[in-house]
Parts: sequence; C-alpha cells; structure tokens
Amino acid sequence: MSTVLATYNIKGGVGKTSAAVNLAYLGAHDGSQTLLWDLDPQGASTYLFRIRPKIKGGGRKLVRLRSDVAELIKGTDYEGLDLLPADFSYRHMDLALDSFKRPTQRLARVLEPLRGEYDYVFLDCPPSISLVSESVFEAADALLVPIIPATLSSRTFEQLEEVLGGNRGGGPLILAFFSMVDRRKRLHRDVIEQLRGQWPGVLRSEIPASAEIERMGARRAVVAAYAPGGKAAQAYEALWEELKPRLDEYAPRTR
Amino acid sequence: MTDYLLPDGMTPAAASRVLARELDVRNGSASVSERAYYDTFDGLLHDNGLTAVWEDGQLALIECDTDRVRARAAMPKPTGPVFATDVQSGPLREALRSLIDVRALLPLVEIRTRERALDVLDAERKTVVRLSIQQPALGRRRLRGRVHVSPVRGYDKALTGVSDALGAKLGFETAELPLVDEAVLASGGRLGGTPTKIEPALAREQRADAAAVVVLQALLEVIENNRPGAIADLDSEFLHDLRVSVRRSRAVQRELRGVFPPGPLAHFRAEFRWLQQATGEVRDLDVYVLEFDAMRSLVSEQVREDLGALLDVLRRRRRAARRRMVCALRSERTDRVLAGWSKLLEELESLPTDERPDARRPIAALAGVRISRVYGRMVKMGRAIDASSPPEDYHELRKQGKELRYLLELFGTPLYPDEAVRPMVKTLKALQDVLGRHQDREIQVATLRSLAPELATADDGPAALMAMGMLVERLEADQQAARDAFAQRFEEFASRQQRELIRDTFA
Repeated sequence: MSTVLATYNIKGGVGKTSAAVNLAYLGAHDGSQTLLWDLDPQGASTYLFRIRPKIKGGGRKLVRLRSDVAELIKGTDYEGLDLLPADFSYRHMDLALDSFKRPTQRLARVLEPLRGEYDYVFLDCPPSISLVSESVFEAADALLVPIIPATLSSRTFEQLEEVLGGNRGGGPLILAFFSMVDRRKRLHRDVIEQLRGQWPGVLRSEIPASAEIERMGARRAVVAAYAPGGKAAQAYEALWEELKPRLDEYAPRTR
Repeated sequence: MTDYLLPDGMTPAAASRVLARELDVRNGSASVSERAYYDTFDGLLHDNGLTAVWEDGQLALIECDTDRVRARAAMPKPTGPVFATDVQSGPLREALRSLIDVRALLPLVEIRTRERALDVLDAERKTVVRLSIQQPALGRRRLRGRVHVSPVRGYDKALTGVSDALGAKLGFETAELPLVDEAVLASGGRLGGTPTKIEPALAREQRADAAAVVVLQALLEVIENNRPGAIADLDSEFLHDLRVSVRRSRAVQRELRGVFPPGPLAHFRAEFRWLQQATGEVRDLDVYVLEFDAMRSLVSEQVREDLGALLDVLRRRRRAARRRMVCALRSERTDRVLAGWSKLLEELESLPTDERPDARRPIAALAGVRISRVYGRMVKMGRAIDASSPPEDYHELRKQGKELRYLLELFGTPLYPDEAVRPMVKTLKALQDVLGRHQDREIQVATLRSLAPELATADDGPAALMAMGMLVERLEADQQAARDAFAQRFEEFASRQQRELIRDTFA
C-alpha cells in the first residue's frame, strides 16, 4: 500500500517541483520504491530527470483508464525512483476529467494498479485550483504545501481551508513548510514568526532560497547528486526526516 | 538482469576501456561489497528462484533473475542457523515463514566483489542501462569477472542495444549461472542444496535385489547427509528426514525380506530398530515444541499464558533426550551399522541366491504382491475396528498404512501407472491423516500426563496444571472427532472400486 504525497500550492514558483523531486529522491534513497507523477503540463520534473515529456496515448487516454499505466513509467537515474512523465496534453486534463461521472476520483483510479508496487507516490501538481487539484486532494494521503515567506501567503491557508473544508476528516493531511527562505531578510524572519504564530502546525524545517536549488534546472539532477552535504541538500533531508514520522502516524487512506 | 562473463584474461579495468569505446558510458563509483549468502540445507530458497543475502547489517530476500529485493530486515550477521522467527516481525519474517517454515537458513558462501558502476547514457545524458563490472572472489580465490547488466524501466530498446554490443560485437559470453551459484559450485557445494526426497530409477523387469539396492542406497545417503545436522541440532528437519529414511529402509527390509540373506538381515533389522528408537524421543518432543502454539490455541485465551511453564518443561526434557540421542548418533555402533549396511548393499547382488528366494524376481512383480498384501491386511484390520476398539488397533492400522505408503512411493510410483497409484495414495493419505491425528492425540495426552509431576514443582505449576487439564480435555475431544471421521475415510479406502483397482494393478 503506497502513501500518496502531493506537492501543492495555488501559486506557482514556490518550490513545488524542487520539493517533489528532492523528497522523492530521498524516499528512494531510503530504500523505498518511489514514483513521481509529473502532473504539470510544463513538465519541469520530467525535464530535470532528462526524460521525454510524452506519454503514449496522452492524458485523456490515461485518465480514461485505457492506457496500461505501468507501461508508461520510466526509470530515472536514481535507483528506486521512477517517473510517470508529464505530457503537454495534461493542459486539457480538466476537460478530460469533467467528462466522467465522478471526476475527482479519477487520478486515484489511475494510480490504483501501482499501489502495491510503490511505497511512496509523489504527485507534482500544476499551480491552480481546478478539477485536477480536487482530483489530487482525493488521491493524496498528504498535501505538502510549500509557503514562501510573504504576507500574502496567509491567503494560501485560507484558500486551502475553503477548498478542503467540505471534506474535513476524510481529506488529506496538510503538511506545510516554508520554502525559498532567506534568513538574512528581516521581512522573511518576521513573516515566518507571524505565520508560525497563526498556524503552529507548520513544519519546523525550512527550505532556503538558494543558488544550489536554482542550479537544478541547469544541472538537470537532484540537489543531493551535485551538491551533497550542501545547505539545500541538508534542508531537504531535514524536511524528509520531519515528514516521515508524521506520515507513519497517518496511515494511508483506504479507498 | 543478465550477467556477461569477461573474456579469459581480461581485467575489469580493460573491460571498462572496451565498454567505453563501444557505448556512451559515464563512470560511476567504485566499491567493494561483502555479501554472505544463505539457504536451507535442502535449498528451499533456490527452488523458488530466491536467495538470502546479508550485507551491511541487513538480511534481504532477493529474486535471482531480477535482483529485486522481495523483503529485507536489519539484523547482525548470522553466526548460527537463522529461523524465520529470529527475524524481526515484518515482511521478511512473513516471507521466510511461508518459504522455509521450520527449516533454518545456513551459510552458503561469502563473496567479496570489487565493483565499478558504469551508466549507459542516451543523447540527453540520461542513464538508460546500468552496468557493473565485477571482480568477485571467494576468500583469496578469484572467480571470473562479470559485467552485470541492470535494465532501467521503460528503456527496453537501449537494453537490447547494450546486449547486442556486449554479446555480438564484443563477444562477451552470457553467464549461465547467477554469481552465487557459480560460487557455490566453486566452493564444492551442490546447487539447490542436498535433496531429501529420493527418486530412484527402476525398471519393471529389474532384479528385485538390484532394485532394492538402488532404493536403499539412496535412503542411506539421506541418512548420512542428515546425521551431522541432526547431531548439531541445526534445525528439526535433519532429524526428521533421517528418521523417515530409517523408517523407509526398515519397511523395505521387511517387505522385500526375500532378497536379503537372512542372518545379516536379522542383524540390520535389529540395528535399524535401535536407531529408530534412539532418535524417537527427541522427534516426539520436537513436534511438541513446534506445534506448541497450535496446541495452545486449543484452550481459551485466558489460560494460554499459563501453559508457558509446560513449554519450559518440554524444552528441558528435550535437552536431556538430545544428549542421549547425540551419544547414540555419534557412537561407533551407528558408524558400524551404516558402514556395514552400505557394504552389504554393495555386495548384495553378488551374494548366492540360495537363501534369497526373491532376489532374481522382477521387482514390479514382487513389489506388486507386497502392495496388494499390505493393502489386503489393512482392509481386514480396518473392518475389525469399531467404536469400542482400543487405541492400539487404530495405531496398528496406521503402522500398516505407513508401510503401504512407503511401498507405493518407493516402488509403486516408479513402476506402475500413475492412474492406479494416484487414487490409491489419495485415499490412503486421507485415511492416514485421521489415524495420525488419533494417535498423535493419544501420545500427546499420555505425555502431558507424564509431565504433571514435574510441572507441579514449577513456580507457576498450579496454574499450568489447570491449563494442562483443559488442554487434555480438548485433545481427547479431538481424538474422538478423529475416531468419528474414521469410518467414512476407511470406507473410501476399502471401497469395491479401490479393491478392484488394487487387484487389477498389483496382484
């Protein structure tokens, strides 16, 4: 039975893909069979893993359960970590989902045949609130929410609460963490303190704003592969170590 | 996963250079691995295409053809036999429990391998196949170097390209055996462990004494193979397999007595009986200990804990019984019996046949008569059994049933049509299950009663005695249930159809 984790935020550019890729790498590094599904039509994760952003039959065939999902998976450069690649057709995923009776259950059904094979499945989501994100909320056991230390970020929580409020109790666990943090900036320190006061459940680990992370696009590799022991790699490790016991406590949802 | 052997004389460094010329590769890290491999004495993991490997503080169960880790658990390097129950609870323990049951994992080989990883890349510089150039060694002895090829999911075409390059272009030979098997052979071991089942090749017209020799030599080999493990108490199956082979040998001595010279036969029959008796008590106690949890589950949950003291007493008794048994198995007497028996079997065919009236008869005819006689005897004995019969009557019938089963397994299966032997074995097995349950309960109740005085002196003796009383009650009820089931099973075994089949096939 796999644990499904989605990196999610309504906003773009907050470090979702970096978190998904690096945490998935750490899961595999621990010896867990791990899959990352790049749901973003831009295919940033797919690009980072040097894999072609294309799946046979496209997104529509996949969500119609007409594709053998196991056949579409590609192994990455890291043992134990596989990728279900992005496809440009995912930009029409909302439309594809809308044609089903229970659209929000669709992604969970796509993943169903893989749940025995993988210990962790990461979903790297596009930034939006849409039918795709609702489908992600249905499929995920936990949402990993990167928050940048900006005043407006408090809206992120409010909006998530609004969206998930309807299925409280049965919905995914929300695990938020600060991302792109520059501790040298007074504003960042103040905002973090203020938001931690408002939402004490936010994880202690912080991902720094770092050139090491920015270089991921150029290096096309996870941070730990080219900057092992660096601050950024250590920050992801600390975040993963903090996450694991929380995930263990929260058994995967039975569907 | 495929392994290729490096051509004779090619060093791993040279192989690296050759591969770099042929494929777009990236050098990975170099490492040294030390892996200790384990399997049961009879190769249960090997039979299932698996192997158990200990490395870096973890024992893993690995599929040989894919390298996939089926389950793993942290544990220190084993220094003795490893049972499923020695592994921390989790997937590995469960997997081992169903694969090896009560057998122990024993050391197979230890391989030290120097490895260099090479990633085969595509145009995007992405890894599409993983290679590892390996130089394995057993102690100081080097085995032939290998290129280990691991596919990357979703890149089948690239894998085919690499296989072509290694095989067709570079002429590297595909390794026919996994590394562990090659190492086992190189260290003088036997692939798949030591078999405990015998499959004698017999011909219908073969002289009966020659056929008996084939069967008995195979049984003697099982006895000899299992004797050291039974003495060392590696697991309970060594003794069990040894005893089964002694019992089967005794059945052949009895049923084919006319192929042996009477004087030596009488001697060896007495000596094999002694061997059987000398090992009996430990086996009975082994069964108690192994089945203790199942037996405990017969009583209510509230009193299960109270039976703990009983297990201690059983273990104490077993230790004492084992000391006596080990003396017997290590004794010169056992050496003499087995060596003498082996010598007699070697010479048997060349001995005069004056006192061996059945020696030259075709084995199929002789075995057929014996099968049909023992069957007839069982039908007669079974018909005389009713609800008021003493337990001894059931036990005697069961003993005849074992005799028949051995005759069918050793001679019926290799010499007679399957369609006649199979239904016979099926109904016999069903009958023996009931008779076995009846007798086991009889002995269990008697043993429990005999333990009462010793149990009474234990700290929590009174509570254990109470619990034991409940257990005895349940066992007696189960014995009665076995009796109730007997009539139906016997009817199937002795049906007109079955009797006709026996008469037409064997008589």
